[in-house]
Amino acid sequence: MDRIRRNKYVIFALVFPGLIIYAFAVLYPIFKSFYYGMTDWKGIGEFNIIGLENYKKVIFEDKVFVTSLINAAVLAICTVLIQHPIAMFFAIIVDKLGGKLESFFRAVLFIPCVISIVVTSKMWVNVFNSSYGLLNKFLDAVHLGFLKHDWLGDQHVALYSVVFVIMWQGFGYAFLIYYSGIKGIPEELFEAGRIDGANSWQQFINITYPMLKPVILVNVSIAITSSLKQMEPIYLMTNGGPGTKTQFVANYLYTQAFTAQKYGYANAIAVVFVVICLITTVVVQKIFKPRDI
Amino acid sequence: MKLFRKGLVFLVAIALLLSMAACGKKASKETSPTPTVSDSTPSTPAEETKEPVTIKFFSNLPDRSSGQGLLEQTILDNYMKENDHITIEIEALQDEPFKQKFQSYVASNNLPDIFNVWGQPAFFEAVMEKGYAAELNPADYASYNFFEGSTTDFSYNGKLYGLPRNQDITTIFINKAIFEENGVKIPGTYGELLQAAKDFRAKGIQPLSINGRDKWILNLFFQDLVIKVSGNQQTIYDASTGKTKFSEDPDIRKAAELFKELVDAGLFQDSFVSADYGAAQNLFLQEQTAMFYMGAWEVGMASNPDNSEHFRENVGLIPFPVVEDGKGKITDVCAWNGGGYAVSASSPVKDEAIKLLNYMMHPDNWPKIGWQQGLVVPGQKYSDYMTGEENVLQVQITDVLNTATSMSGTPWNDFNPGDWKANVENYIQEFAAGITSVDEFLAKLDSAVQ
Repeated sequence: MDRIRRNKYVIFALVFPGLIIYAFAVLYPIFKSFYYGMTDWKGIGEFNIIGLENYKKVIFEDKVFVTSLINAAVLAICTVLIQHPIAMFFAIIVDKLGGKLESFFRAVLFIPCVISIVVTSKMWVNVFNSSYGLLNKFLDAVHLGFLKHDWLGDQHVALYSVVFVIMWQGFGYAFLIYYSGIKGIPEELFEAGRIDGANSWQQFINITYPMLKPVILVNVSIAITSSLKQMEPIYLMTNGGPGTKTQFVANYLYTQAFTAQKYGYANAIAVVFVVICLITTVVVQKIFKPRDI
Repeated sequence: MKLFRKGLVFLVAIALLLSMAACGKKASKETSPTPTVSDSTPSTPAEETKEPVTIKFFSNLPDRSSGQGLLEQTILDNYMKENDHITIEIEALQDEPFKQKFQSYVASNNLPDIFNVWGQPAFFEAVMEKGYAAELNPADYASYNFFEGSTTDFSYNGKLYGLPRNQDITTIFINKAIFEENGVKIPGTYGELLQAAKDFRAKGIQPLSINGRDKWILNLFFQDLVIKVSGNQQTIYDASTGKTKFSEDPDIRKAAELFKELVDAGLFQDSFVSADYGAAQNLFLQEQTAMFYMGAWEVGMASNPDNSEHFRENVGLIPFPVVEDGKGKITDVCAWNGGGYAVSASSPVKDEAIKLLNYMMHPDNWPKIGWQQGLVVPGQKYSDYMTGEENVLQVQITDVLNTATSMSGTPWNDFNPGDWKANVENYIQEFAAGITSVDEFLAKLDSAVQ
């Protein structure tokens, strides 16, 4: 059986279907996009090849594209600095609870991830509404009326409202990964620590954190790449508005293709976007991998 | 043993390849029915055997129980009742998703047999030019009483490709009770509109709801202001085509300043930038706002039993107010023929689809049923169908239409093809949200003109 597994033909036969699917579902569309990115195709009828014109425009001239990337960066930073510490904190707390309470909180914290994004996005649009929304009503009730905002319409806060919702929606996943990471730490280590007189904080710094490092790194790289790819909550909540203040790349290329009917240009954005995602992934892996895992 | 192993390897490889081939076969089997339908239909018209025909209908009216959607559904149901062999498959999406799906249908050359279109260059011109819409015979519609000029935007190079369904006109719907209870004057001029906004705000009432997330409605509101300031329907189109400049035309600048003044006075409801059509309309239907800026296609609100009786008794409409020192009259209106239908040129059941289209728009159907049930303002002469039982909005809109001295035609944001629409709609939303100043807004508009 072992020899069969090592046989090149078998390996080929097993890998080939996957490769074919990958080639047709991923590589071929990217090359096709690259080709369409060199055209002025409007989605209807014939088109002309215009060389790298679109690519130049995306990289050097398109301010909205830059705004979208900056927004993605803001989201990534907020996710890593705000969502993750909280998720880790909850993971540690829930792990300590044990019994029925533990499974209850585990389920509750994961609920936002299970509900459809359409539902949660529309729910938050209503919560954020400045006239009948829950949030402003609540602020009024606790005498914090001066904090009231048009949460999705005010150019200064709209982005952070959207970022908040995306973090809320993704909280369950971040929590779950940390939680399972913590579950994987052998209990004996904590026991030994306790015997040596370590308090909770010392246990966290000297046991939990070092043991959790690989998990943190995986989680952070997932957060960064998923920040780049955000689409649905933005499309559903603001569609990039007001103006282009909350635009993200995926939504921007979608509007360029389907509202502005610039298919060629949208394809160019898509290709540049793929390259940026690849570079980011490689950089993130490089930064984290050799020293820590 | 070696032979056995080789044989096993070979078998595994074959099995895998076969399983893939099986998948492939399945897929090709599933796609086969469509061509057979198209093969058989052309032979049917001659013989009256009435083989079953399925017509795919792509609509932008997802609400099938009120307004235009109800009318469309009623007529299609009637048609199926009268023609047993016809089945109509309806796919309905709201405007924006509709446009996006439409694009992907076009890109894959797979348009449904009959579909909604907007008679606006930004949407329909390329579709007609590239031959996606079937040519219609104008003689068929000689007795259909379409208003003069209403089919212009559905024609290309002198050939007819689509039919309009309504006379569209912007208007401010009002709730008389809210005005009376608060002692606010129903605005006839810009100054009164501004005052009404301030008065309502002072009483904690949101004056006017508008669906700012959809952007195009803000463009219409701006166009209404330009018309009332300049008194010339051409002003905004001249700037849109580059004959004049947005930033240099004093009337357009004035209109932009007035627009800003209204926004700053809080005329639009809170969060209007993120409010979609349904959210904005709901505020008005629930009597939370005193006014609602929208097109005449919403006249059905006054007869829709889903709306409260109190609302139906108090709803009314006013034409867009004049500007005190402006040159535009109250009878210069922003009106056009927007929505309509066209048939796919590559439809396998093209003749049947055109028959259905002709049935729908027949004077006895769309205009008559639509008008008499208070669902639409048809794009065809409807004076013969007056019953005296029209709802208040229908009566008032007919008044506005009958006294109109000039009409704008295609809204300015739909006037140019390509990315013009996306750009100017973004710019006005930024302006309305207070992100850009009057100067920046006008400069951006100029930059969008190519």
